[in-house]
Amino acid sequence: MRPLMLQGHERSITQIKYNREGDLLFSSSKDQKPNVWYSLNGERLGTYDGHQGAVWCLDVDWESRKLITGAGDMTTKIWDVEYGSVIASIAAKSSVRTSNFSFSGNQAAYSTDKAMGQNCELFIIDVRNADSTLSEQAPTLRIPMVESKITSMLWGPLDETIITGHDNGNIAIWDIRKGQKVVDSGTDHTAGINDMQLSKDGTMFVTACKDTTAKLFDSESLMCLKSYKTERPVNSAAISPILDHVVLGGGQDAMEVTTTSTKAGKFDSRFFHLIYEEEFARLKGHFGPINSLAFHPDGKSYASGGEDGFVRVQTFDSTYFENFFE
Amino acid sequence: MKAATTSWADELEADYVDGLPPSKETVDGDYKHVTEYKYNEEGKKIKVVRSFKIEKKIVSRAVAKRRNWVKFGDSKDDKPGPNSYTTKAADEILMNFIGSKDFEPTQDSLLDAGKPMAKCRICNGEHWSVKCPYKGTSLDMESKPIIVPSTSTGESSKPGRYVPPYLKESSKGRERDDSSAVRISNLSESMTEDDLEELVKKIGPYTKMYLAREKNSGLCKGFAYVHFKYRKDAAEAIEILNGHGYDHLILSVEWSKPQN
Repeated sequence: MRPLMLQGHERSITQIKYNREGDLLFSSSKDQKPNVWYSLNGERLGTYDGHQGAVWCLDVDWESRKLITGAGDMTTKIWDVEYGSVIASIAAKSSVRTSNFSFSGNQAAYSTDKAMGQNCELFIIDVRNADSTLSEQAPTLRIPMVESKITSMLWGPLDETIITGHDNGNIAIWDIRKGQKVVDSGTDHTAGINDMQLSKDGTMFVTACKDTTAKLFDSESLMCLKSYKTERPVNSAAISPILDHVVLGGGQDAMEVTTTSTKAGKFDSRFFHLIYEEEFARLKGHFGPINSLAFHPDGKSYASGGEDGFVRVQTFDSTYFENFFE
Repeated sequence: MKAATTSWADELEADYVDGLPPSKETVDGDYKHVTEYKYNEEGKKIKVVRSFKIEKKIVSRAVAKRRNWVKFGDSKDDKPGPNSYTTKAADEILMNFIGSKDFEPTQDSLLDAGKPMAKCRICNGEHWSVKCPYKGTSLDMESKPIIVPSTSTGESSKPGRYVPPYLKESSKGRERDDSSAVRISNLSESMTEDDLEELVKKIGPYTKMYLAREKNSGLCKGFAYVHFKYRKDAAEAIEILNGHGYDHLILSVEWSKPQN
């Protein structure tokens, strides 16, 4: 299949996500407008206009009704997915780095950067009846992060915990009822966690780390199960919902890109076997580092967003589904 | 659709926008063809024909509902279907399976800062050849003939990499036997392969024939090479044809000299 190239952004892509059914693909970039696309034919449904800074993160709730975005203009916005209008805009004290809906869609969490004399903080808000008054309501929980700032965040199982990945490579689980840390991963990673994505059943998640590895963790005990090694910083990693595969995307830092040729092969998506930790395939496409990856929920295609500003949706050929390890 | 009675001139006036014909959509079985006209960067009118395959998919109700949502934001004015400005089909890229025969390991090592890039041609050390301590010594002198065959064997075993013909191993086995070849010169411009064949086939069987031609005009350059199957036939050809008159010219036939 020829890949679809989605050129809706003017600057590098920061995050892409499918909705639960996989018919919509959301993309955010350092320009100010997150986009939504029909994943089947790459048709753009619309743009969410309203942010005034780089959009760092986005998430869509499980009904595909609400979209949450966090941006460098120090706001978190909740959008109506269908009409592209802002439901609520919550001001923060520094730029918002991560934002996610809980699985039920009743709550949302977002974290702010450690910048401008502000500490990194994690906020949890109730979004059941989100409207414009949400910005005046106090968050249900507010956890200051003293050690290192959050660079990646996930909701744990049953909406009871939050898993945070930090700039120093630390991973922690926070119980949102107690408001405190319950599990700490220690030093499995030695540099900033760029991305974390859950497996389909949520029992484990894969991290993407600047220390050139991606690791598979148990999402309850934070035990490191597997490690996928590369020689470049890993910006994003995703687990296939149907096969025991992990896809890794990365590349060197944006500042080093101009000194590297695309032929050096640092910009391709790399497919690893989940269990054997062995790389079995690569796929070229981007001419800059890949910043975000996502599997389609049916596992038959995946999308990647790169520093080059393009989103590529690639449907797998039949060769991909043949077994290599039997 | 226009009524058949309107003149084509009226039609031009009515439908053309900015001097461009309107876009058309035709459905042909499973395929939809969209024809659009637009100006390219040079200001020339171009016609763009895009073909789509229509596929039917059964989806859940929520997904089907979302399919009919109205576009918003920057896509507000887009027509149904992908807009060619934002959605493109990229070139086909095949997955590169590691371990399969066409997998080429990427040369990451070349660009890694940790590894020295320099490799001495003289002593294979990790420095540039200019800085080699052995430069100008006997090692330097003999290094060149050593390197050339070693690269040739190493490279040719790897498929997919360019190897100059003279370095190919197979070319050595293919060296021609020029012992039964003759050179025929002083041919006229109008000479053709057929004429040449006519001339030599009476003498004996030949394996190869080459008539030199001017690159641009295609006219004969005045000489040709003929490889006979047997050396005695070649000798006979020299005997008979040397000094033979052909096309108002006197042919000169001699043993072909090896190149260089």
